[in-house]
Amino acid sequence: MKKKRQRAGFYFVLPWLIGLCVFTALPMVAAVYISMTDWDIVGNADFVGLKNYITLFSTAEFVRSLWVTVRYAVIAVPLIIATSMTIAVLVSKNYRGAGVFRVIYYMPAIVSGVAVAIVFKWILDPSYGLLNGILSFFHIQGPDWLYDPNWVLPSYLIMAVWGAGGGLLTYLAALKDIPEELYGAAMIDGAGTFQKVWYITVPLMTPIIFYNLVLGIIGAFRKFTDAYVLGGAGKEGNFYMVYLYEEAFAHYRMGYATALAWVLFAIILLLTFVVNWTKKYWVYSE
Amino acid sequence: MKGKMVIRFGLVVGLLMLFLAGCGRGNEDKTTFTFATWAAGTELSEFQEIIDKVNEEAGGAYRIEVLSIPSDYYVKISTKIAAKKCPDFFWLTQELISKYAQMGVLADITEAFENSETLTPDMYYDGVVSSAQYDGSYWGLPWIANPMILYCNKDMFRELGVKLPTEDDDWTWQEFIDTCRQFSGKEYKGNTVYGTVIDGWPNIETFIWAGGGDIIAEDGQQIILNSAEAKKGMGYLQTIVKENLSPRYAEVASLGDNNVWFEKQRVAMYFGGIQDNFEKKVSEMSADEQFEIAYAPMPVCDDGGAWSFDWTASTVMAKSLEGNELAYEILETVTKAFFEWKVAPPVKDSLENVIQIDPNKEGAMKTIEYTMPYARSANYIPEWSDINDKLWYNLYVSLLNDASFDYQGKMDEIKEYSEGLVKERK
Repeated sequence: MKKKRQRAGFYFVLPWLIGLCVFTALPMVAAVYISMTDWDIVGNADFVGLKNYITLFSTAEFVRSLWVTVRYAVIAVPLIIATSMTIAVLVSKNYRGAGVFRVIYYMPAIVSGVAVAIVFKWILDPSYGLLNGILSFFHIQGPDWLYDPNWVLPSYLIMAVWGAGGGLLTYLAALKDIPEELYGAAMIDGAGTFQKVWYITVPLMTPIIFYNLVLGIIGAFRKFTDAYVLGGAGKEGNFYMVYLYEEAFAHYRMGYATALAWVLFAIILLLTFVVNWTKKYWVYSE
Repeated sequence: MKGKMVIRFGLVVGLLMLFLAGCGRGNEDKTTFTFATWAAGTELSEFQEIIDKVNEEAGGAYRIEVLSIPSDYYVKISTKIAAKKCPDFFWLTQELISKYAQMGVLADITEAFENSETLTPDMYYDGVVSSAQYDGSYWGLPWIANPMILYCNKDMFRELGVKLPTEDDDWTWQEFIDTCRQFSGKEYKGNTVYGTVIDGWPNIETFIWAGGGDIIAEDGQQIILNSAEAKKGMGYLQTIVKENLSPRYAEVASLGDNNVWFEKQRVAMYFGGIQDNFEKKVSEMSADEQFEIAYAPMPVCDDGGAWSFDWTASTVMAKSLEGNELAYEILETVTKAFFEWKVAPPVKDSLENVIQIDPNKEGAMKTIEYTMPYARSANYIPEWSDINDKLWYNLYVSLLNDASFDYQGKMDEIKEYSEGLVKERK
């Protein structure tokens, strides 16, 4: 009976298992091989061993795109977490209209990346953009944003902060889970608002911060849509994924592009391990 | 038990893979051909009409099926090629022909083309037909040419007292720059105007040719980007940027596309393809916004030619059809049908088609006639996309952003980089 039940269970998961093997595992194995070939999408892929990986580390464009991405990730990830959490704390209370604010702040998460990029193209326009329009109201000469290499990164950070509401749901859920008694006890002990947030809210939110940190790192390193649409002066908008895409579909260097994809995978995996290792030092667990 | 389950699982996966592998094309119907196009919307309907007519005239001898790829065209084409499902016919723009030919995707049509009774290489404009050539062979039939001319705002010229270039003037780049100087910074209809608008368009080839230089030599091997002539040509661009004869690079996008600067009467001259429909746009404007358009050919470059960058596209045939007479017949028939569809037909003695296709171009005919023999594309090689990337980001945009940029040093650098790419060619 037990064996019969086991078999039935196996058949139930079989479609998923087949999907995993055919559409994930096999392409991954193929990708390992392709990354070791010189393949321009057509004809035979010539096996070149580790040449693509060696070339990659000595290519200025690779270093540059990685540097652009790392700089963005280092600033954007904490910025998004801090913004998202602050918004969550502000809209978590059940005051009048809180629901409307929750919807407004979450809305960027459901808008298409291309649409966001096109809207930001106008917002960041040096001459007629919304942002420089507001700055000029205060008699401040706005920068050229995406047209000035020094302002490309800040432009992308502004876009990142605008979309920070995406993590709102998880933070709100975590906030709702914090027992009210803790705040009551703190109030009796004379704690102020800041102390309550710092000593109760933040520590109890660390599991969700950890979760968003990992997802944020992955998202930052895989940044593509808006960067592909908007670019940026001096190639400052040439994020790693854009570089990878161009190598694959503009220059038809599939082997090299696949090697780039594996290196990206390794970077993300390593960072996830590092973050996971630090978990014991700062993430609250019961 | 576990072993049995693993075997069963393996069998299921194996069967599924066999099924997927069998999903490819089965027995080919050798009289049915696919034609991939980037056309969409109205253009696609027009394209479909042409194909329907060709199918009808074929009387059942063959049938063409349209494969519309309106977005990510080249990504999808290359993916199809990788999956060994290359469309029988598809469009390629000039800069990709050498790359696809080198990859072994395209059918070499040289023999059929040269021996054709109805459409031979000498019937095309030289600059157009060479865009379908690589390594001594022809790889497609060009079906469209869109060379660059100058659209001028006649009213602005008149109002600001600037002499208008004639429709077939042999004016030089220096004269063009002098004309720009007479506009830039002046007020017209309540706005500060400029001589022209440059934001990456016209393309870098235009300026390099202006000095009498080029990027890649005709042999497709040597990179000549660092020649004194090429540098002199880029010097013209530097002058335009330095003297603010065009709006700042960062400012151009503020009106949308660069052509809007011409439509909104903010620039006196615009480098446009002959296909641009300013005439129609202006006629649809309110009376106080309308203006008269005049035309001028591209300025004569320092080597004596009024070289006009010509955007061309060819219809190419899949390698698997090489030597297939019926396929070539279809390619030729469809290409000739396209000559009556788009401005401008790339073959000589067909300029009357331009007015039939677009009567609005009547006023531009003298300029178009003057321009066609000078219309050309660059000597594109398989490494072009990589070289162009460097030319665009590291040279053109840098100069647009900063007129004091050491463009000459950068040209030397890109030349060396490009030579390295050519050396590595398989």
